[in-house]
Amino acid sequence: MNTINLSDLKKNRNWTPYFLIAPTVIYYIFFWLNPVITSIYSSFKGVDGSFTLQNYITVFTTTSFGEAFWNTTFIAGISIVIEFFVALALALLINKKFKGSAIFLFIAMIPMAIPAVGVGAIWKTGLTAHGWMNSLLYYLGFLAKGEKLFFLSGTKFSILWLIIIIDTWQVVPSMMIILLAGLQNLSKEAKEAGYIFGGNGLTVLRQITIPMLKPTIITAVILRLISAIQIWLIVVMLFGFDRIPLLVERVIYYKEELSRLDNSYQIASTYAVITSVIVTIAAVVYLKVSGAFDMGKKEVM
Amino acid sequence: MIKMWENTISKFAKKTLFSIFITSLIIIIVTPLYFLISLSFLSSREAYQFPLPLVPAISSEFKLEKGEKGYMLSIYEKGDREYQNMIDTKDMEKMSRYMRLQLSVDVSIEKLENYISKLDQQNEVYFKSYKGLLHNYKTFFAITRDAVPALIRSLQVAGLTILISLSIGGMAGYAFARYIFIGKNALKVSVLFVRVFPAVAIAMPMVIILASIGFYDKPVGLSLVYSVGTIALTIWVTASIFLGIPVELEEAAQIFGATKLRTFLTITVPLALPGLAACSMYAFIGAWNETASAIILTQFNPTFAVVVYQSVLGAVDQVNLAAAGGILMALPMVLFTLFIRKYINQMWGGVTA
Repeated sequence: MNTINLSDLKKNRNWTPYFLIAPTVIYYIFFWLNPVITSIYSSFKGVDGSFTLQNYITVFTTTSFGEAFWNTTFIAGISIVIEFFVALALALLINKKFKGSAIFLFIAMIPMAIPAVGVGAIWKTGLTAHGWMNSLLYYLGFLAKGEKLFFLSGTKFSILWLIIIIDTWQVVPSMMIILLAGLQNLSKEAKEAGYIFGGNGLTVLRQITIPMLKPTIITAVILRLISAIQIWLIVVMLFGFDRIPLLVERVIYYKEELSRLDNSYQIASTYAVITSVIVTIAAVVYLKVSGAFDMGKKEVM
Repeated sequence: MIKMWENTISKFAKKTLFSIFITSLIIIIVTPLYFLISLSFLSSREAYQFPLPLVPAISSEFKLEKGEKGYMLSIYEKGDREYQNMIDTKDMEKMSRYMRLQLSVDVSIEKLENYISKLDQQNEVYFKSYKGLLHNYKTFFAITRDAVPALIRSLQVAGLTILISLSIGGMAGYAFARYIFIGKNALKVSVLFVRVFPAVAIAMPMVIILASIGFYDKPVGLSLVYSVGTIALTIWVTASIFLGIPVELEEAAQIFGATKLRTFLTITVPLALPGLAACSMYAFIGAWNETASAIILTQFNPTFAVVVYQSVLGAVDQVNLAAAGGILMALPMVLFTLFIRKYINQMWGGVTA
């Protein structure tokens, strides 16, 4: 990273950077800010077009908001923790370089390249009563002939765990790649010094590697956090709408499935606004707790 | 001496444990994929069986004999080691169609009639036929409304998204790397913030906005929406790449009389190619996979993701077709990733070495 000194600063004080960022700013005003404001506006708009809080009252009281909120929180909270530790462990493992680590990395990256719809197809075909999961369990001798496990019609609690496991299968690789890239950039000297001063593998990991990896960890977790709260597609593909209500699932549900209601568009917008508020709060709380704001004060990047 | 032995044994045990661990991880990753691929090659009859065959059959053995209604067709069941009755009919067209749809086997009516004629001399006729392995894929395209145009549209959307996000995001990334300007940090944080608002929530009002500029239900419109997320990522990635390219190189080119634009195009862009490739991969993945916004933003011209989504959702009883759809969805991504892998390797240096 090359530092920018004062003479550069003077020389570069011209209109070029503003010209370069102008397209981005214009683009975001038109294609992001514009729809966002429209969404917020429609969440406060009644069926007759007047200003109202009725949409929020409706969402909070009469619909399945509470269930959607807790389902989302449960899935996102647990899956992030599991995925992070699994991804970190795998990244540390691959970083060590063993025989065939390159091939392993390539295989580990495969789930990342499978689209959400493809992942839906994998588990939809796998978890139905006559799907491949039961067949595999039968061939392995875990199930007697004719015996089947009904994964998709279990209790709500078991379904939530099933979703977490499926999500982990798909998400761990992308998280691992980010952590691995961070690990590769760490200086070897610091770790070696830790060993020289008598630290064992675990203390070096805890006292040196993890703290040095912190910025990368924060990036990986925050990206995951934002998308984990917005989980819906895989759940809908496996269980259909309305079975396991989720925050974003509610948005699509009202927009597409209940579009005949008078206020379905407004309710969908309201759910969208509430979801983004929740995501923002979660992201800010995480950044605050992890101390990212103190690091960010120096300079972004 | 004993100590040395202990050391060797513990080392060996560690190594073994490690290999077992890695192997089981690979099994966990690969098994679901294997079954998706295997399922996509199964005939409808095989897909209904339980347990599902571990390996799709390549050929089937048949037996024809006189039946109650006409002629009885039986198929050899490898598991039970016996022939199982399939269909009893006089109508050879019906039998041929049944074999094509249920067993993925193409046997023409003439051929069947030829076999039947032999039944005059003998009681049973045996024959073997190869299974059309790509049958599910053909059926997927045949029964799914405009799958091919949807595929082309999806590629258009992905291409346009790459173009938009690389040009707009790349410019901003260059500004972030080379210049100091008012609001730099604020802007950089805020481009990440755009992802906080659910993409679907952007898509809903975009229906009206795109309709007003005539882009609703068109690939351009979709790529404009998808680029919202990818531009932010492109800015971050390209900024760090341009930071890694020494300013001195650009200055040297300018000393030799090149204009700023020419320097950028002939010196900076080629050096940044690996990173730009990575960005275009992310843009491609994002655009190709996106389903939620596409459901909302298309009406008569769905993307391929939407088509597959609908067929998987609707294919409760046809898991083999759903699997073929899933594979078709994943294939371009895997190809694209392979194609662009060497550039990514360059960017990550040792990571994928």
